[in-house]
This record gives sequence, structure tokens and C-alpha cells, in this order.
Amino acid sequence: MQELIGALSLASIYVLFALGMSLTWGTIDILNFAHGSIFMFSSFTAYLLLQRAPLPFLVMVLIGIVVGALLSLLIQVLAFEQILKRAKDKRSAEMQILIGGIGIAIVPLSIAQYYTKSTPFGFEGSPFEVTKLTFGNYWITNVQLMTIVLAAVLGVATSLWLRRSRQGLALRAIGVDSEVASIMGVDRRRLALGAMAVSGALAGLAGILLTYSLGAITPESGDTLLVKAFAAIILGGVGSTAGVYAGSFLLAAAETVVLTQTNGLWVDAVSFGLIFLVLLVRPSGLFGRKEVRRT
Amino acid sequence: MHDEVFRGRRRFAVRSMVAAGALIALAACSSGSSGGSSGGGAATGGDTSNLPATIKVVSTNPTTGVVAFAGNAANKGYDLAVKEINEQKFLGNSTIQLEKSDTKSTAATAAQVATTAIGDKSVAALFGSVSSNEAVAQSPLAQKGGVPIIYTQAGSDGVVIGDYTYRATPLMREYYPIIKKFIQEKGYKSIGIIYTQATPTLQNIGGQTLPAIAKELGMTVTGSIGVQGTTQDYAAPISQILGGKPDVVSILLVGAQNPTAMKQLRQAGYTGEVLGNSGASAGNLKPAGADGAGMVWPVDFNYQQTAASSKKFVAAYKAANGAEDPLNYAAEAYDAAWFLAKSIKQAGSADRAKIKDGMAVVAKEKFDGALGSGLIWVDRDLQVPGVVVRWNGEKEDLLYEAAGVSTSTVSPTSSGSSTTGP
Amino acid sequence: MSDFLDANAVLVQATFIGLVLALSVQVPLRMGVFSFAGAGSYGIGAYLAGIVTLRYETPGLLSVLIAAAVAAVVGLLLGLVIARLAGLYLAMATVAFDLIISVIAINGGDLTGGPTGLYGVITDFGTLQLIGVSIAVLVLVALSEVGRTRRRVDAVRDDPELAASVGISVRRYRLVAFAASGALGGAAGAMNILIRSTVTPMDIGFGLIVLALTMIIVGGARSWKGAVLGALIFTWLPEVLNAVGEWQPLIYGLIVALAAIFLPRGIHGLFVDAQRALQRRRRRAATSEVASVGDDDAPDTDSEVIETLKESSEVEATK
Repeated sequence: MQELIGALSLASIYVLFALGMSLTWGTIDILNFAHGSIFMFSSFTAYLLLQRAPLPFLVMVLIGIVVGALLSLLIQVLAFEQILKRAKDKRSAEMQILIGGIGIAIVPLSIAQYYTKSTPFGFEGSPFEVTKLTFGNYWITNVQLMTIVLAAVLGVATSLWLRRSRQGLALRAIGVDSEVASIMGVDRRRLALGAMAVSGALAGLAGILLTYSLGAITPESGDTLLVKAFAAIILGGVGSTAGVYAGSFLLAAAETVVLTQTNGLWVDAVSFGLIFLVLLVRPSGLFGRKEVRRT
Repeated sequence: MHDEVFRGRRRFAVRSMVAAGALIALAACSSGSSGGSSGGGAATGGDTSNLPATIKVVSTNPTTGVVAFAGNAANKGYDLAVKEINEQKFLGNSTIQLEKSDTKSTAATAAQVATTAIGDKSVAALFGSVSSNEAVAQSPLAQKGGVPIIYTQAGSDGVVIGDYTYRATPLMREYYPIIKKFIQEKGYKSIGIIYTQATPTLQNIGGQTLPAIAKELGMTVTGSIGVQGTTQDYAAPISQILGGKPDVVSILLVGAQNPTAMKQLRQAGYTGEVLGNSGASAGNLKPAGADGAGMVWPVDFNYQQTAASSKKFVAAYKAANGAEDPLNYAAEAYDAAWFLAKSIKQAGSADRAKIKDGMAVVAKEKFDGALGSGLIWVDRDLQVPGVVVRWNGEKEDLLYEAAGVSTSTVSPTSSGSSTTGP
Repeated sequence: MSDFLDANAVLVQATFIGLVLALSVQVPLRMGVFSFAGAGSYGIGAYLAGIVTLRYETPGLLSVLIAAAVAAVVGLLLGLVIARLAGLYLAMATVAFDLIISVIAINGGDLTGGPTGLYGVITDFGTLQLIGVSIAVLVLVALSEVGRTRRRVDAVRDDPELAASVGISVRRYRLVAFAASGALGGAAGAMNILIRSTVTPMDIGFGLIVLALTMIIVGGARSWKGAVLGALIFTWLPEVLNAVGEWQPLIYGLIVALAAIFLPRGIHGLFVDAQRALQRRRRRAATSEVASVGDDDAPDTDSEVIETLKESSEVEATK
């Protein structure tokens, strides 16, 4: 049972992280490989500011969200938009954005590595205390609880927004056929910027929560999560918020099972193997709606 | 049109053959390496009169990249030793000129800088990389090229491979057993182990050395879980291990992972002491705050140890480095450099082969160094007494020092994976 | 000159190995197959060559051939399984394949040396053989970039439906791409361990994929010349950037990002574009409108396909 709580909170971190990636991938076709760096750098910025003054929890979260959104916007404007402008066709644009993201990801990574010399950094000094709530034989920390709740709330909110609101519909229209969407009066650029900003904000939020939860992260932590988020999205299906949940829980559950049953050294193989398997058998994932191009 | 294409193909094929031929010719005319001597002279032991005015030594260590903290600390030890050697005129009127090449924490660069140094005939000896990966790539080059190379850390098989290679750091599996005293004093009867496979050293300690110690002391191992280098969340393995209700828990992780694991261990309700490893030193546990207190580990050197030669080193280091306490990397490097100087003096020459012979002679004696008193070389690996320290949340407390060098577990080239170092 | 080679032996070796690695990604990419399995093949090749050398004392060149052959077979099998995927999904599947290989390497116990990896792999294989094999491989790849083979490859990449309709077996070309990528990657990995005498699981992880990609993207994905450029740049760039010291990774990342944005066809693509712009100007001056075929590397796709159509219909006619 305690393992279940652990798996749940692990899955919720994956959800928060993957939600942002899935949002942009499923709608504006941007697979942002710099997402992990954004996640880490938002936490790093909060850490730097924390050295100047003891900041309460809410302020830290705010910093994470704002920095994440800003970074994401910056990347979209300076890099991805430029690539899209010059691209010959959709496929090469996807590749360029992928590569561009990888290259950009190195920049915040090396800045953080420079300052921390790759030693872990955490939020001690912040007046917020990670406390434990016990019920019977089991326990959960306040941060874990917050993460689980936020993941649930934000996921549902995103899903509803995509399905019901005007901007949400417009965004999905872009995902289906961007040319037609723009003919219908959808401002592609503004919506794309919005999507990227929200995605970055989610990453920043996840960063702050995870750092509080684990106590410390390293500059390389973002990239590790990136692969997991990938696995979760592919498992669940690109373009579906329910898919992000399903994929994250499945992944976290599989990893926990492997950990407790075997020696724990094959956990990563689980994520990679699952990605591979799903792509083979059902590339659209469990809930995916995006059609997978086949030659 | 076909003709044009055919001509194009033929033109291309001819061009490529010419190019290939040229490149092969170029490669062929590169001269083979020949071991040369730089400054010879009588090999009477201890005679410094025939040494060249400057003796060049290169430290090929990572000063940038992931293991830079260890490489930089080692270089500080080298600097201090070389300064003393020159100031004391230990080599008569000859001075050691120390150069530093950055290996950038990658094996290929390490091989590159080693090759460059080996090809430079004025270089008498090398200080090898602290990183196992890099060391393993450097050793064959140094051994084949006939250049003496002394490593610190780099605890992996494939580093000390021949008479030109020495390592001034004991393998962790050799000094880890000094923790037996702590275990016995506390009366632990059972242990749960969580270890990482991120380094061969820790995988070996967690998978073999510690369980062997447990067996010897009559402790049961209630659980043992290996985690990957990429694991960041230890809640699951921790709750599993605690489920076995062990008397003591051992957490063997690399630097960055330790504070997270300690925090989560405390959250899960375990308040006892934790057997760790030296990867948690150098302040790596600080982010865990009060939760980090109680981690205990054996290490080859701590600045608070009481041997006279160690205290002397610490005082000299602090004087030269702004009252900063030396890390074990610096102490190891210091002893390595002094070992080299003694070997050069013994050889009476800066010739590479003669230094190698000198090292073999000097290695037969016990000596007192920064790492403690009564240090001995066994099969070109340095053995030291070692100390056990405990992190109290703010700094390391010295719990106790081993009485002397224990040679019971010395096994230079045993099979299986290996031990120390990053 | 020989002093230069001696002093920079490792860099020269790295350039050639990097070239073959880059080709292992570039060859399938040129066929429209977004496969990064070359990095995984590199791992297979390196470990295999290491294992046969350590256990059976196989001579160097033979180990390379064995490694390349096995990696090619694995690549082919992989291709059979995932060839139907396209675009990003294919890329992700191959990335997953690569990462699985590195997990196997770490968990392989005594066979793969676990986290330590393999070391002490010493044979007679030296820089000479390395250069020889690399040049041979390069020539083969370059030959596939001229004449009919080139046109077919371009057709398969740019317009598979059209290519299929004129009788080109698209599936066969794609499978060949997977096998070739495997052979190239395996050869690169094998040569690397024989030269470096060691390999660790960290050497064959995600960083390898990034390296291969950046070489192709910055150098140019359309031709072996791009791979050469990329390999040269990314092997020697860190040396050049030494002056920048600790900020080197940052500059590196910036260069990759900028190249991805502003040089979609790489530096080689820049040359090609410039060449074609020049030709167009000359042609206009000479009032001739026919596109010339020859050493030009990337003429209009449509004319290519038309050529292929013509060829096939000639073949049909002569049957």
C-alpha cells in the first residue's frame, strides 16, 4: 500500500511534466526537447533567488511558473518560429525542431552546471517544511499530496479547456489542419505562443514541486525525466490528456513493480521497452487520436 | 547523358582513390614512437647531480566536467607537493615543473592529452586521471609508451597494469572493512542495503564487500536493492528495505543521490545511523540539512586524523590554500608526487625507464605521508590505515582511525568488478 | 606533418570514427528513414569487437568485420519490425532501441563488464587500418550518391508513392537503409574500441545520438560530404573552443541550436545552394534552360523523379 502511494506521487510528477510536452506536441506539432532543461532551470532560478532571501512556498512556486513560461516563450520565438519559417515541409520542420530543442537544452544545462559544479542543489533555507501526514501504517508528505492533487486538477482543467473553450478548440483545429484553421480566422501565432507558455509554466511548477519532494536535484535531472515523459506520452497516446494520465500511471506502476520484484537495475529498460512495444503494436497509444502516418 | 554520368562516376572514383592513397601515404610516413632518454646520467641511488635543470611532469586530470571537483582537488595536492619539493631542494638544483592538461571528464580527451604528453620527450612522468574510465584508457598508452604514470583514485581494474603504472589510493573494497569496529560497537544484528550501479566501486561494495562483512560478523542481510544511476526517487526501495526491519541501513550512492536518499529515509521513519561511502563527503550531504546527520563511512583520509605526517600536510595545505581543509583527493596527490620525487632521486636521472626502476625500489619501503603513517605499496597499489567519519549535519566528525594498514583483504587483480573512485 | 599526426593521433582517429558514425545516421536519413539506430549499432559493434578480442584474440580487422556484419543483421531485424512507422515515431522507436542497448550493456554482468565496461582490448588494429576502412566505407557511400542509385534513393525519400508506382521497391530500399546503418554503426563502434582499448556503457548512451545528429545537421544531411564536414567540425571544435574553457558546452549547444535554425540543410547545403544559385545565374545568361546532371548534388526533385520514370520506362520498353 505504501508502494502504491509512492507510485501515485511518482506518476503525478510524470503527469505534470508530460502534460506540457503533450500539449504542444498534440496541437502545434512541437516536440520540445528543451522541456527538461526548462523544468530544471526554473527550479535552479528559484534556488538562486532563495540564496538572497528566504522565500515562502507560494513565491517559489510562482517563480517556477513564471520562469518556465518565459523560457518556453523565448525558445518558441527565437528558435522554433524561425525554424518553421524556413522549413520546406512538415517532416523536415519536425526534425529541425527536435534537433534545435536538443541543442537549446544544452544551454541552461551548462549554465547550471557551471554554477553548481554538478553538485545537487535544493531548497533548504526556505521556510517551507516538508511534513509527513500519517494514517495508520502509511504516510504521505504534504508535497506529495499537493503534487497528486495538482496533477489531477490541472489535467482535468487542461482537458476541459481543450474541449470546451474557444481557444482550446482553436488550438485543436491547428493540430488537425493548421492551414484550414488559419483560413477560419484562428491566430496561429498567438495560440502557439500561449500553448508554449502554458507548457513551460507546467514544467516550472513540476520543477519546484519535485525539488521540494526530493530535497535536491542536479542539473542533469531534467533530461532523465524527459525520457520518462516521452514514454508516458507515447504509451498514453499523443494528443490526449487522458492518455498522459494513463501513460504516466502505467509507467510508474511498471517501474515500481520491476523495482520491488527484481533487483531494480532494469527499471529504465522498462520505460524504453514499453516505448518500443507500444510503437510496434499500437503507435497511437492507448488513447491517442493523432493519426500515425504510415508509408 | 549516360556517358556524362559514367564519366562523372569515373572521375569521382579516380579522385577518391588518389585521396585515399595520399592519406595512407601520410599515415605511413608518421614515425613510430621511440623511447628516448632525456638527460641520462649515472644511476647511483640518491645522486641528484646528474639531473637536468627542470624535470617536466604533466598532470592529466579533469578540471572541467562532471568529475572536475576531484581533479581540481588532486591538482591542489600536486601543486603543494611540487612547491615543497622545489623549495626544499629535494632534488638538488633540479626543479620539477608541473603542467596541467584538462581531460574534460572524457576518456577520449584523457587519451589525447596522455598521448601528447607521452610524445613530448621532455616529459619525465605523468600524474594520471582520477576517473576510472579515463585511467583505463591512459594506462595502456603509458605502459606501451614507457612513461611512468601515477594515479590517484581511479579504482578500477585495468588501471594498474604494468611496471610503469602506480596508484596512490587504496581500493575502497580494501579499506571499507575498517567499519567493522563501528558495527560491532553498535551491536547491529541485521542490515538492509541500497546501492547504486552507477560506479563499479559502489556496485562491488553493495553487492559483495558489505554482504561479506555482514556474514563475517554474523549479521543477516534482510534486503538488498540495486538502483540505477538515473534513479532520483528512492521512496520505493527505501520502503521495501525498511519493511525487512533491519537494525541498520546502508545507503551506497554517488554524491548527488545521497541527500535525497537521506531525506526520504528520514521521512519514511528511520532514525538510526546509516552506513554510507565517501561519495557523500565534500559537503554533498548539505542539501539534506538535519536529515543528513548520522551517515557514517570509512575513507582513506580525513583532515582531522592524528598521524604526525598527516597533520603536517594539513597545516601546509591550509597555509597554501586560505585555511581550507584538504580533501582526500589532495592528500592522495600529495603522497603520489612525493613518491615520484623520491623515485627520481633514487634513479638519479630523469630518464623514464630509470624512474620506473627507481619507483620499484622506493615502493619497497614503508613511509609516512599525508594519508597516514606506515603506508606501504602492495603490487603498485598504496595501502593506508583509513578512518571512519560521521556527518553531523554540518560537518564531518572523526569517529576513529584504523590502527594500521590492514593487509588481510589485499587482492590486486581479483576477478569481478572493481572499487574506488568516481 | 607526421609530428602533427603523432601529437593529434587521437583527434585524427576520432574524426574518422566520427565520420563513420555520422554516415550510419546520414545514410538512412538520406533515404527518408529517420533512424538513429546507428548509435545502438555502435554499441553492439564496440562490445562485440571487445568480447571476441578478449575471449578469442581475434585479429583487429576481422573483429571489425564480424561486428559490422552482426550489427547489420540486427539492424535488418529491427527494420523488419518497425519499418512501417514513419517520421518522429520511427525516430523514437530507434532511440528506444539505442537506450535498451545501453541498459543491456550496464546489466550484462561479466560478459559486458557491467558499469566498468571492457578494457585492455589491444590488437594490431591501428590508425592505418582505421583510415583504410573509413575511406573504403566512404567510397561505397559516395558511390550511392551518383547516378541511378542516387536518383532512386531520392525518389524513395521524397515521393515514395511515385517511386512505388514506377516499380521501385520502397520497402527493400528502406530495409537496406536499416542494414547499412547497422553495418556502419557497428564498424564505427568496433574500430573505436580497438583504437581506444576500452568502452563503457556511458560511451554508448544518449550522448552518442546527439553527437551523430549534430554532425549531420550542421554538416549537412544530404550527402557524405556533409558527414565529413560534420565529423571534422565536431571533433576539432572542442580543441578550438579550448580558449573558452568552461563555457565550452554552452557554446557547443548554441552552435547546434543556431545550425538547426539557420542551416536546415547544413553547411554542405549552403555550398550546394550557393552552387545552384550561381548555375542558375549562369544559365539565365546563357539562355539555356536545361538542368545539368553531373557533380551537382541536389538538383530539383521533380526532374529527378522524371528521370527515374524515364529510366524505368526504358527498362520496361526493352523487356
